[in-house]
Amino acid sequence: MKLILPKNDLPDQLRSWRKEFTVYLPQKLERFSHFMPLDDANARILEQPHNTRIPPKALFLPMTEALVKFTRFGTYEDANMEISPRIVFGMRPCDAQAVQLLDTVFEQEQYTDPFWVKRQEKTIKIGLGCHVPCANGFCTTVGYGPFNKDGLDVLLTDLGDSFLVEVLSESGKTLFENLHEASEELLNQAKEIQNKAHDAMPIAFETENLKEKIDQNFKSDYWDEVSRSCLGCGVCTFLCPTCFCFDIVDEVQRQERVRNWDTCMFRIYSLEASGHNPRPSRVERTRQRLSHKYAYWLDQIGLIGCTGCGRCVSYCPVGLDIRAMLRQAQSLPFEVSHAE
Amino acid sequence: MPDINALRLEAKRVLREGIVDVVVGFKPGDSPLHPQPAFFRNEDEVEELIHNGLCKNNLANYLTRLPKQEKVGMLVRGCENRSVNSLIVESQKERDDLYLIGVPCEGIIDWRQIVEQAGEHISLVEESETLVTVHTPAGVNSFNRFELLHESCQRCLYRNPISADIVIGDPVANGSLDPVAQKVKDFENQDIEARYAFFQKEAERCIRCYACREACPSCYCAECFVDHNAPRWTESGATPAGMQGWHIVRAFHQSGRCTSCGACERACPMDIKMTYLTEKLNHDMREKYNFECGMDAETKPPFQTVTLDDKNRFFLGGGN
Amino acid sequence: MTAKAKIALFQCRWCLFSPADQEWVDTQLPENIHLTKSPCTGRINPLYLLNAIQGGADGIMISGCLPEQCHFKTGNLAARRQLEEFNDFLHYIGYEKERVRFLWLDLQDRGIIQKELAAFEKELEAMGATHHLATRIMRAEGGENA
Repeated sequence: MKLILPKNDLPDQLRSWRKEFTVYLPQKLERFSHFMPLDDANARILEQPHNTRIPPKALFLPMTEALVKFTRFGTYEDANMEISPRIVFGMRPCDAQAVQLLDTVFEQEQYTDPFWVKRQEKTIKIGLGCHVPCANGFCTTVGYGPFNKDGLDVLLTDLGDSFLVEVLSESGKTLFENLHEASEELLNQAKEIQNKAHDAMPIAFETENLKEKIDQNFKSDYWDEVSRSCLGCGVCTFLCPTCFCFDIVDEVQRQERVRNWDTCMFRIYSLEASGHNPRPSRVERTRQRLSHKYAYWLDQIGLIGCTGCGRCVSYCPVGLDIRAMLRQAQSLPFEVSHAE
Repeated sequence: MPDINALRLEAKRVLREGIVDVVVGFKPGDSPLHPQPAFFRNEDEVEELIHNGLCKNNLANYLTRLPKQEKVGMLVRGCENRSVNSLIVESQKERDDLYLIGVPCEGIIDWRQIVEQAGEHISLVEESETLVTVHTPAGVNSFNRFELLHESCQRCLYRNPISADIVIGDPVANGSLDPVAQKVKDFENQDIEARYAFFQKEAERCIRCYACREACPSCYCAECFVDHNAPRWTESGATPAGMQGWHIVRAFHQSGRCTSCGACERACPMDIKMTYLTEKLNHDMREKYNFECGMDAETKPPFQTVTLDDKNRFFLGGGN
Repeated sequence: MTAKAKIALFQCRWCLFSPADQEWVDTQLPENIHLTKSPCTGRINPLYLLNAIQGGADGIMISGCLPEQCHFKTGNLAARRQLEEFNDFLHYIGYEKERVRFLWLDLQDRGIIQKELAAFEKELEAMGATHHLATRIMRAEGGENA
């Protein structure tokens, strides 16, 4: 189903949804944008080509959430899991694809994360394609694109004074009941915009055989070279839409077991109770991060664990660029003789 | 503007003559906006050495990350030199194991302001003493350099390295103390509701990524207080109490140890202001103890030097 | 405030020279006052104060010895610098200075701590509860987004 939504009608459309849903959309926060609930005064869509600073994965895997309440006397209570219905409006395809990738982590055959599942069930995702490339994104390099539809219930294409609304699911359909079908002309215009945007995204590195290069160079000095200036902070992982690691901690003083975002870039992430740390330095930790995204995800589900959003490139405090690191990895030899 | 050729020559010399094992400086990054800290171990590598207003990291940070026994050469601006001194005072490095190549500093440009004003597609940035010229697909724009500087640099009191082995470049005029002190007083003079509102608004954006901690040369604890479960000083998640606790304590742990370099703010992905906290503490160290961090490599900070002379400074006994 | 002000009392274990005073603190301390004894005020990490504030304390009292009377010679001097600065710093970010009270006791002082605690309690009640500085709250449910 392909419909047209005039931009002038958008504020009213958003307000109409607010009766039943909490509507999250990118709004201005300091110098960047952030997914926040719409209140009446802010019924404006931000005109910006790039994505929010914090990815919308935060709406499905919160930065901090209580799992269990307990008392000193040994009683337990599951956390309240009341999630009211939500619409996430203006998700970029890279972020939506990432949430779908995370489904493979949190909704497995044997184990399901009830918190993640509940949030997914209660959320309708409306995407907005990127008609101009962002500065550091590389979605097409990793197999996706600025108008990718995976993980979305609806995809919007900006046509200037209206949006093309492509409904992709049943829940998406219920939101746009009173719109007209798109004309042939507008459909063609949208197609052109989408193709042009896709072609305009530069290819940042070669993915063919990248996994093999990474796997076969486990002991290479390359890892030391590329990670020299890495500070071991959490910026790349916390801003990454596909990173999902978490730490579970008992906040005894407020009697809750809490799950917080965690990062493999911290030294203590892999520190074991014995004192042994299998990843003692930034070398091992950087190797882990790159390998996880571009090799181990492939081993586990056959897809690269990165959707090319570019946030890690833009916000690394020391200017490390994962695209350059992977180009360098591609220049490594295939088979390395292991002189043990 | 830094004399890159002279800097390279000196870096090559100290490597060639075995005075140092490594020279820490900057090299071009993959984006014109982001030069990267770099570690040069031979003369060929030094060809990549650069130094400009977009070099936003405090290199002294790496002194506690490189192997302890290495002799380290480092390009240092004013704040970096003082950070190095502070680390020597705290026994994190011996002065004899260092060769400091001083670079007078005209301030670090806030790259996010460039993006805000010229958009995110930047192909080239050129600098002069007064202008920053930015090339984008839409055209070329020039901006007033001072206005683009990071706030810490606009009010910097020590732009020239004070104890480098060699200084390459002409001295730069320092900022004056009065506006710095005034800024702290202005904040203090706001009413309590306004002060708290500001603090709360800044702290609540925190995502606990600890980029501020990792970018700071003074934050080198093997175990940070946030990593403790017993005692549990404050929450580790992005909760209101946790975020506030993090900012309060990280700043407080810098009392007498902060050189106002601003690397913390520049590293933060959420644009959180923190230097207003450390500047208050730096101001108190100056006013109460006549102490400025890093002015030499011997003087211990006030919290390490208690004296009976304090006895009449604070509250007297018996009820207050 | 209808409830009594909650006070966190950090006391060095040497500052009350009279056994009667110490016994009062050990056995008859009112319920709204939470006692933590330490070997010296120098041991009191400013983070203890923060933890108490985040736990809901309305005020904090630190009781220690006068300079030149510290059992560990200079412990209380270190406490003075750090804790005074911390109090100043908290005030800067919006937590009233008057909520942190220092009580430096002399060898000869008797019966002071009871009076001071009572007076402090009254003052805190007059100040009212503060909503500044976030306290640890139970997160009732699976949490909101970032």
